[in-house]
Amino acid sequence: MAQAEYSSFQLDEKRLKQRRRQQLWLAIQRHWMLYLFILPCFVSLIIFSYVPMGGIVLAFKNYKYNLGIYGSPWAGMKWFRSFVTSPEFWITIKNTLRITLLKLVICFPAPIILALLLNEVRNAKFKRVVQTVSYLPNFVSWVVVVSLMRTLFTPYGGIINEIRKQMGMEPVFIMGLKNAFLPLVVFSDLWKNVGWGSIVYLSAITGVDTQLYEAAVIDGASHGQQVWHITIPGIRMTIGIMFIMAVGGLLNAGYDQILLLQQPANLTMSQVLDTYVLQTGLKYGKFELATAIGLFKSVFSLIMVVTTNTLAQKYAEVGLW
Amino acid sequence: MSQKTAAGKVINEYSGTKIRANTGYRVFTICNYVFLTLLGFATFYPFWYVFIASLNTGRDFMRGGVWLYPRAFTLENYGLAFQDKQIFTSLQISVFITITGVVVGLLLTALVAYAMCVKTLPGRQAFNFFWYFTTIFGGGMIPYYMVLRTLGLNSTIWLYVLPSFYSFYNFILLRTNFAGVPYELRESAQIDGANDLSIFIHVYLPVSKPILATVALFIGVGKWNDWFTGAYYQSKTSLFPAATLLQKILAEATATQSIKEGQESAREAMNTYTSQSLQMAFVMILTMPIVIVYPFLQKYFVKGALVGSVKG
Repeated sequence: MAQAEYSSFQLDEKRLKQRRRQQLWLAIQRHWMLYLFILPCFVSLIIFSYVPMGGIVLAFKNYKYNLGIYGSPWAGMKWFRSFVTSPEFWITIKNTLRITLLKLVICFPAPIILALLLNEVRNAKFKRVVQTVSYLPNFVSWVVVVSLMRTLFTPYGGIINEIRKQMGMEPVFIMGLKNAFLPLVVFSDLWKNVGWGSIVYLSAITGVDTQLYEAAVIDGASHGQQVWHITIPGIRMTIGIMFIMAVGGLLNAGYDQILLLQQPANLTMSQVLDTYVLQTGLKYGKFELATAIGLFKSVFSLIMVVTTNTLAQKYAEVGLW
Repeated sequence: MSQKTAAGKVINEYSGTKIRANTGYRVFTICNYVFLTLLGFATFYPFWYVFIASLNTGRDFMRGGVWLYPRAFTLENYGLAFQDKQIFTSLQISVFITITGVVVGLLLTALVAYAMCVKTLPGRQAFNFFWYFTTIFGGGMIPYYMVLRTLGLNSTIWLYVLPSFYSFYNFILLRTNFAGVPYELRESAQIDGANDLSIFIHVYLPVSKPILATVALFIGVGKWNDWFTGAYYQSKTSLFPAATLLQKILAEATATQSIKEGQESAREAMNTYTSQSLQMAFVMILTMPIVIVYPFLQKYFVKGALVGSVKG
């Protein structure tokens, strides 16, 4: 675009810059309608996602209602200290990790196994019915799931207690038993998510190269050997990515479910980080402490994802980024 | 996606010559079918159980033994549930927020997805990062709540619609689909003098009906099922949606369960219904729309799940 009539190089560059700015401005004007399209979501995200991010400073403040978040005096690390030194710290961390690790051990591999089993089904109709039914719980609310559980487990006509009675045992209020809490959490999670979770693995299995199986059969590999040496390595990437995401959620016990299963009787088992944030913040109004706990959790989760991702990339060549 | 599995096909082709489907494999196949049947049953039965419980008189249900079909059939529970003013209002609220949530969310997210597909848009990269960043970092529940409170949203019905109409997941579903629309269509329409709005309405929307249906359903199911927003952010109990109301009923029942239900049977021995049977009817009213709609739309759901998991 530089024209010969401008002898000075500097002038040329200045002109070029100006030209470029003009073009950008023209391009922006030409696309005005698209900016209008973006505007509602943009404003919504600013208000409801980015402004709350700024609200994190609350964790470092002594909040005074009349001074606002930014006008309130600084408190340094006071709230983090008071959380870490409180007895609730270890209780909530332990409870959270107990639940998430159990879910990681039981609920993480389950959809993979289900996908492998479904993959062995030849009868297309049977397979479709099983799939349709197993995806269904994913679409109902946790409130409904817990209501279903209560009906099944109630001492007043519930089927589980009826079976207990038939076997000569006393009916019990299962949902209120402290020792039943963990099994209830893990198995309701399994029940709700195993089917839907298998979709990803099923589609990964269809992506495995067919020729590998043909070659294996010629080599005399048994069916089990094919699954072990071809199918599972073939979906390794998918498993790896899902695993990294699961580890990132190690402090996410699933507040939706936990809140609904939480009862005074099992509180020593069921108070996890998320429910504790809600309790201190919304129930007792300790906004700063609750924000600090929430921030602690987010930062820890972020560190976990980055670490697992790095390790996975190094040793298994799988990664989110 | 009919999963014709590689391994299976091979086995069938070669079973005559190279490999015999041995006894071990046959035993496995039988066990597999049995196991999957049991799994399907275990998934479906709780729904069925509560369904028959809601169609049985509450008093009779408490005697136990109602396992497969209603023993003392009645529609009383549903009648009473719909007559309950609180339940009826909460259902109206749920219907309202589901419909407005779908309309507003689908339209505004689709507009963004369309704009993000226009490659010449200045600032496109920056915008993409702007949308993405909210998925990896957030302010947490308390600062979010304080924003709601400052705006006064926590005492209006718009609490359920305005803060949450955008979702990155749905945005990715729509953008992936729009990116598959040939770009030349847009260019040629532009040469004909069409502006972006008419291109969006007349070119992009008509060819994207399946994905629009999918996203509409994801939003709708999410709104219908959301009990948390109401329970923790809504300050007016009269504005609770049905899911939140159910949670409140559950919480109340939990607090008094062991004492109350026993007393009730003595005190209200005249009634055929119980608080439990009413609750079952309410649970079914909340579940039915999803169970009825779901089988017809399952294939869209599955498609959505796959696109989301690959790209997100």
